[in-house]
Amino acid sequence: MLVIAVNLSTYIPVGLLVVMALIFAGANLLMTHVLGPRRKGPAKDIPYESGMNPIGTARKRFNVRFYILAMTFLVFDVEIIFLYPWAVTFAKLQPASPEAALFLGRVMFFLATSVVAYIYAWRKGVFRWD
Amino acid sequence: MAEPASMIDKLWFLIPEIVLFGGVVVVSVMGLARRRIVRDAVPLVVCVFLVAAMAVIPFLYGHDRVFDELGRSRAGLLMPLLGRYVKLVVCAVGILLAMMSVWLTDRKLEAAVASGRARFDPIRVSRGEYFAFFLLSLIGVMLVCNANDLIWLFLALELTSLPTYIMVAISRPSAKALEAAVKYFFLGALSAGMFLYGFALLYGASGTIVLTEMRDVFAEQAAAGGLNSIALIGMLISLLGVSFKIVAVPMHFYAADVYEGAAAPVTAFLAFVPKTAGILAIMLLVSTVGYGGRTAAGIEGLPQPIMVALWMICVLTMTLGNVGALLQRSAKRLLAYSSIAHSGYLLIGIIAGPALGFDAVLFYLLAYGVMNTAAFAVLAGLQRRGEEIESLDDLAGLRARHPAMAVVMALAALSLVGFPPLLGFWGKLSVFIAGVEAGRIALVVIALINSAISAYYYLWLVGLPILAMPNAQSQTVVKSKVVWPRVAAVLAAVAVVVLPFFAQRLLSGSQGVGTPPAQQPLADSQRARADSQ
Repeated sequence: MLVIAVNLSTYIPVGLLVVMALIFAGANLLMTHVLGPRRKGPAKDIPYESGMNPIGTARKRFNVRFYILAMTFLVFDVEIIFLYPWAVTFAKLQPASPEAALFLGRVMFFLATSVVAYIYAWRKGVFRWD
Repeated sequence: MAEPASMIDKLWFLIPEIVLFGGVVVVSVMGLARRRIVRDAVPLVVCVFLVAAMAVIPFLYGHDRVFDELGRSRAGLLMPLLGRYVKLVVCAVGILLAMMSVWLTDRKLEAAVASGRARFDPIRVSRGEYFAFFLLSLIGVMLVCNANDLIWLFLALELTSLPTYIMVAISRPSAKALEAAVKYFFLGALSAGMFLYGFALLYGASGTIVLTEMRDVFAEQAAAGGLNSIALIGMLISLLGVSFKIVAVPMHFYAADVYEGAAAPVTAFLAFVPKTAGILAIMLLVSTVGYGGRTAAGIEGLPQPIMVALWMICVLTMTLGNVGALLQRSAKRLLAYSSIAHSGYLLIGIIAGPALGFDAVLFYLLAYGVMNTAAFAVLAGLQRRGEEIESLDDLAGLRARHPAMAVVMALAALSLVGFPPLLGFWGKLSVFIAGVEAGRIALVVIALINSAISAYYYLWLVGLPILAMPNAQSQTVVKSKVVWPRVAAVLAAVAVVVLPFFAQRLLSGSQGVGTPPAQQPLADSQRARADSQ
């Protein structure tokens, strides 16, 4: 009995995650239903495919903005991946030790460089959609 | 197994790269600034960061930082001292190259903005990007010095090359530059694929990607009756792929077209930066398979097939480069073929092997970087009908109207041919001496014949500006509006004349740099392996 109880308790975080996911998804659906404006139209009823028309030839021309935006996304996407090994190592360091400060400083430098990437993209007009 | 080098020890030697990366970040945003003065300061900031990187390098390579108590490299590098010399050279030549490209891009747009004919539009400028890519490519070369495994080596080589494709494309607003960039990109991708395949075979043959461990594995294989044939094939394919970077023969064919299509500052960059990265990569790669039991005559250097392949590449590169250059009427194409020929001379040093040969190669890289930059800076500093000068006819009788540029071109060409008191002579001399010491007499004789052939076309570059009479075409050559390429030309020419006085110091600076730390670490790691079994 005891063994089962211990084993179950290790699944509490997973259970919490499932509950959180359900609440998040449910709340989002509910809030868009309650708060969102409603403008019906034929375009709204088709499946969403990153802003593209899902039916028709695949050999059509894309607006070049999609590529630029995808590249900008990639910068931040890759950045998040780099944060994982850092976070794993950082948790093992002595709190408030000089080593931890150094690690924090390094990752801050890294984050600052991608903030610069954001400023660069913004100044180049990547996010201007007119 | 020796314990893997810690990341902290590796990072220590990356401080110059991190400084330059800071430069990349600053420059790419500065190029988009609202105020003109900030945008114009971009090349200056690039030079400041290069100087800062140079300033920190001497402090990084203290003996205790580089080696541990047993005399092994702390960072686990095959050639722990390589960066000390190469990074300084790359930054120094980088400053000259940055001066050459001050107004390479955006000149027309900025003029239109200044006169109020156009509004400043961040999407249309590329100066910040140009210099950011410029620095990234230099970082790539510096990272090759720190490569301790194949993946690092591959990434560093690609970091060197990828920015150059874009630099070629944006260097001038003509279809020719775009054509050159596309050609260069696709052939570069082909070569990257080739050496990546070679690296995969090397990994398959040795079971490790770490260069030092690979050297130990190959040494054991060689002692037990010869190298694995997969290792040999992998090494040959890797060498063929990397020979694209140094424009050596099987992969040389793009050089003339790409060098001609790009603007002169970018051409000077292409002739020095990727070539340095390629030569360093070849040094690291061949050091994993050989030179272990090298005798005084150097006959037992590399495994026979690799030696034969390098020998053939070397001879063909020298000969094709020099013969090809004889046929050219365009100064840029001529210098492109001369760049091919000089790669051949560099390979003599690689064949001669560590200690003398590698030291000579590193010194030669410095010499070639300086004199080549001088020659291209002359082309960038003069123009005819709004375009930089290109054909040999433009140079005729330059002495009458642009005496300084004529002298610089003559000095650069004399140095490239290896005329005695100049820098190029000492570079060639040290490479040839290394070749003779290693018992490669035939190779050195071929190189001497090649030098004699090359004298013919280099002396055109000396004679045309100084002795020939101006013709109708060269009468219309004027100074380009930007002074900095000419300043770079004069500085490089001064270096060509003055540096030989310090040749002894410079050679001793490169001394031992290309030497893998003796047999000590090999014995250590074998003992450690024996202990663990």
